[in-house]
Amino acid sequence: MLTPVKRDTGPSAALGPADEADLIARCRADDRGAHDEFYHRFRRPIAANLYRVLGDRTDLDDLVQEVFVIAFRGLERFRGDARLSTWIYRICVNVALGRIRTRKRRPNAIGVNDLDSAHADPSLVERPEMPDRALERHQDQARVYRALETLAPKKRLVLYLHEIEGLDLKQIAYLIDSNPVTVRTRLFYARREFYRAIAEEPES
Amino acid sequence: MSRHVAPHRWADAFAGKLDDSERALMDRHAESCAACQRTRTRIAGASDSYGSIRTQPGPELPWDSVRARVHWAVSKEKRAQSQPAGPPGRRVPNLVWGVLAATAAGALALVTPPSPPSRPAAPVAHVTSPVAPPAPVVAAPPPAAIAGLVIRVAGSGARDVMIDGVRPDDLFARHLGAGTVIATGEGRVDVQFGDASAFALGPRSTLELRRFDSSMIELVIDGTIDLEVAHRAAGQRLVVVAGEHTVEVRGTQFRVSREQAGTTVSCRHGLVAVRDGSAAQVEVGTARRIQLAPGAAVSSDQIVPLSVDELASLASATPIRVPLWNIDALVVGSAPLEITTVGPRDVRVDGVELGLAPLSVRVMPGRHTVESADSAGRYRRVGWVDVAVPSAGSKPARLEVPAEVPRTAGVAERRRQLREGIDQARLARCTRSIAKAGLTGTYVQVELAVDASGAVGFLNVIDTDLPSATASCVREVLADVRFRQGAPATWREKLDL
Repeated sequence: MLTPVKRDTGPSAALGPADEADLIARCRADDRGAHDEFYHRFRRPIAANLYRVLGDRTDLDDLVQEVFVIAFRGLERFRGDARLSTWIYRICVNVALGRIRTRKRRPNAIGVNDLDSAHADPSLVERPEMPDRALERHQDQARVYRALETLAPKKRLVLYLHEIEGLDLKQIAYLIDSNPVTVRTRLFYARREFYRAIAEEPES
Repeated sequence: MSRHVAPHRWADAFAGKLDDSERALMDRHAESCAACQRTRTRIAGASDSYGSIRTQPGPELPWDSVRARVHWAVSKEKRAQSQPAGPPGRRVPNLVWGVLAATAAGALALVTPPSPPSRPAAPVAHVTSPVAPPAPVVAAPPPAAIAGLVIRVAGSGARDVMIDGVRPDDLFARHLGAGTVIATGEGRVDVQFGDASAFALGPRSTLELRRFDSSMIELVIDGTIDLEVAHRAAGQRLVVVAGEHTVEVRGTQFRVSREQAGTTVSCRHGLVAVRDGSAAQVEVGTARRIQLAPGAAVSSDQIVPLSVDELASLASATPIRVPLWNIDALVVGSAPLEITTVGPRDVRVDGVELGLAPLSVRVMPGRHTVESADSAGRYRRVGWVDVAVPSAGSKPARLEVPAEVPRTAGVAERRRQLREGIDQARLARCTRSIAKAGLTGTYVQVELAVDASGAVGFLNVIDTDLPSATASCVREVLADVRFRQGAPATWREKLDL
């Protein structure tokens, strides 16, 4: 029997509000040890989030670096109105949005999904899938990312966060710095375009 | 069901958002429609794949390399922020030194008589002296005196700053040297004394510049002082004396507060050494604080971490500095700008936030734009002010920030007129297409200004969830509303459509 795959939340999941405040204070005070702790806590969740949003690992290390630089730069202004992990996720989303926009401008640079080519964490999966099921799943994932590529960047992000990550409108609004009604409208059109793209994709 | 099923409806069905009867209807249609059957299969596959995408772990990256790059980028930014560029022309390029050296060598060659033809060198007996001759004693030059200059006077009672017991008229032109005593009332005064060194004396505080030269700065504080000090060179000392406790630094930002209840030393970054009367010493590091009762001996147990709020308070109290420090040039080439307000208001000059006004700040001659924050914290332009080169007897440039006009004046009536004046039928035509697509419960938020004659000053759509074409159609409907004469008003209106 396959066990449900655990969410890769990384060590940040264990960080309580008091520890979080302490870590932020030390980072603000330029404590090198705190910077290292911050980096080690969040590096894997950040890489995983970017990877899932974008669907490929091209320049992923550059994007992870960008997220950290923005985070360290922005810690001075972090007001604590959201959890630190949520705030970092928000940075990830915005860095990913920038990346998607760049890819739209330079379509040759698209490295369409290689989600399955990554090494899966063996601790997360108890037993490997059957080959035919794995192939089918890979095809479905590839089709999803190809359909995502057809959407405008903002619509793509909203659709990803709602349909795939399962976030509600309010959460998405916070992440993309918008309001829930705007998100709803964007989602309304994005869903139609996305599922139409899946349905109308020519047979390979 | 005769029409094809829209693809997103299949996604709704798989997400359990449709009732059974509708789902059954769709399935029945798909049984007889190959296209819908294929769509259903594909969307089922896509919907199933969301879970696996969501739980996909990230790939392994060269973490050490990424960490090094992050560290490099962050520290480079911090270095750039903490080391303002020196004035142009101060550094002599290496090339110039090279040219000078070559020229000097050439000149020396010209004035030196040519040496006779070389002969074989005669053997020389090297005699080593058993005792090296004493080095000539060179008297150390006396340390150069330092002078400070007032950069900003802020807070209520900004004029309430005393230098050596008097309220000087030429506060911004004074060189503050050793022996000066500065006292504040309810205001706060920022004094710069080097490229990257400055202090801010808090309200109800007295500071004596007991020693103020290049080898030793000794400040005696009673009250609160925030210091930001450039890194001290070897042999340079900076000591703050607070009662029986002394605080010594190398290069840091910190606050010393001496009250009746005791002395508190808070260090934002860097390291400070705190000593008591018995010369016992502890070091207070970054984001740490030590609180000492009067007469108490120092001990490392008294050091506690600063809270986020305390750190923020230290950050906001950072003394203001001008980027190019040349005291003589600043005295003749800059002048104070006085900004007055009705009640405390945050102000910006040329986009730089200066904190709560009323205040006076040192600026360069020329035209400066002043903005003030309204009650919502938004900066709005107040106006510009010309600041002249200072001359004897000239008064400081002054700008009065008018009191904020209450926003409620006339708004209720104008709002009613807007609601009554909207052509509802035309508005309905604007939103018809999106309503047909199933999108209801939308809104548009506008910002309007109407003057006393009823003319619309501006009408901006500031937020909406409508597509742009629909939003501009709605805006046109609103722009055609006619207002009567009445009170002027500026307000925001949210219309649910």
